[in-house]
Amino acid sequence: MSGTDDRIVRTIACGAGFAGDRTDPAVKLAESGQVDTIVLECLAERTLVPGLRARRRDPGSGADSRIERRLMPILQSPASSKCRIISNFGAANPVSGAQRIQRLAKDLGRSGMRIAAAIGDDVRHLADRIAWDGSIEGDLLGAHAYLGTSGIVEAVENQADIIVTGRTADSALFAGDLLPYLDGSEDAFAGAIAVGHLLECSGQLTGGNFEAPGLPPLGSSDLANLGYPIARVFADGTAEITVIDGSPALINRLTCTLQLLYEVHDPSAYITPDLVVDFSGVSIEEIGPSRVRVSGARAAGRPARLKVSGFVDRPGAISDVEIAFAGRGALDRARRAADVLRLRLAHLPEQDLRIDLVGLNSVLGAASRAINSEPPEVRVHVSAKFDDAGDAQLAEDEVYALTLSGPAGGCGVRSEQRPRLEVVNGYIDRELVKPSVEWSNIP
Amino acid sequence: MKVGDIACGRSGDKADTLDLTVVAVGQEEYARLAEFLTVDRVQAELNRVMPGTVQRYVLPGLLALKFVIQNALPGGVYASLHAGLHWQKAAIYLLLDMDMET
Repeated sequence: MSGTDDRIVRTIACGAGFAGDRTDPAVKLAESGQVDTIVLECLAERTLVPGLRARRRDPGSGADSRIERRLMPILQSPASSKCRIISNFGAANPVSGAQRIQRLAKDLGRSGMRIAAAIGDDVRHLADRIAWDGSIEGDLLGAHAYLGTSGIVEAVENQADIIVTGRTADSALFAGDLLPYLDGSEDAFAGAIAVGHLLECSGQLTGGNFEAPGLPPLGSSDLANLGYPIARVFADGTAEITVIDGSPALINRLTCTLQLLYEVHDPSAYITPDLVVDFSGVSIEEIGPSRVRVSGARAAGRPARLKVSGFVDRPGAISDVEIAFAGRGALDRARRAADVLRLRLAHLPEQDLRIDLVGLNSVLGAASRAINSEPPEVRVHVSAKFDDAGDAQLAEDEVYALTLSGPAGGCGVRSEQRPRLEVVNGYIDRELVKPSVEWSNIP
Repeated sequence: MKVGDIACGRSGDKADTLDLTVVAVGQEEYARLAEFLTVDRVQAELNRVMPGTVQRYVLPGLLALKFVIQNALPGGVYASLHAGLHWQKAAIYLLLDMDMET
């Protein structure tokens, strides 16, 4: 299954780039027969939180609620039996995720599958040995270290069909699969991490979330059916990036460079749990339609500490409320509504209240371009922080009161409250973190 | 001429750090961007709507510039009082919409 070039040692694909990503691209990848491994990246920085909250209510839960919905159509496809699946959808409880998959596989007549959970990321019990970047005062919901490839490599070497992880560096989900097939050099490892980093955001590499001057954007039908990326990887860690034959996509130097540098800080020292990688000498060559060759990632050392994400519920709540104005004079009425709300909520500290006009300035704030025509409708958006969750209802009540006692025609109120959750980064001595693998059996 | 006439870009974030990537459409355009998008100019533009100081990285081999702004998103994405989460994904337009001297 290695394409036409027999120097290709492994073909790996990204079937999902966040917890809520589309489920059909992974099925198409599995059915194509063109890929050895599909990675489903389903755990963004914050996405652990629903799992942590679920696990607190029930210690047997905490894995991603979408596991069955994602895997069922893949496992039902006969071609998928040749395909390894690796995912961080174990979220806050990879072992429970693996057990759910075992049950699903049994129900689908695939009970012989080897299912491994790569664990060890939960370091909440070591909270006082973590060097935190900020205060963790409040309710520390969880603290998870970013694991590297070791658990995944162990599972691969023991012929796992499905590998479930929790918090693992996204690039390691890919590199862990590739590593046993590479030439053993550190630069090949760096190349595998570059491949993982390129692929981890699914459609963002293949023409999604992209526009460039002089290039027509992908049409709506192409975006609706966007092919997710595959990498054909060579033993030295270089790779060809493309999509399966016939899938709509736009892959070129620009899309790949944007993704290579995405959420990277110092490009000459991209820090991952296994390796610091230098991307500054990477070369991206266009070798065909939606086909590029990536080479030149270099290893630049091993970090002494692992990054940790801590999730802290601060006391209180944030309230988000909107009200709409439409018809003649809508903008003027919306502006006056905002003024009324500022007077009514004047007791809140300035930094805890924000009032924007959606359609005018709710995204880029003071840097928004001026408008030169009257909009047909405007929404007033209020977000406010309250130190006491019991007070958070006030924002909604004050907005609703505008419908009786504010400028004319206020309508379409929507309101929600959210916890004052903050992500606090920390660092932990890597020797304190003990990655391991558990093989799943139905309890 | 605007930056977005000769480059594409993307915003990203990690905790309270914002990162902006700008990639030029060609070699000549890269040279113009590298000259125009100075730390001072980028910082002045971004500080209209966010705190933080700008760190710039030049990547001539990739025809790209990278700007990293620490503490730009106090409390992280989830503590933001902007309308909707992840407003900062649009922050790249602060740079792409900048007027360049011609």
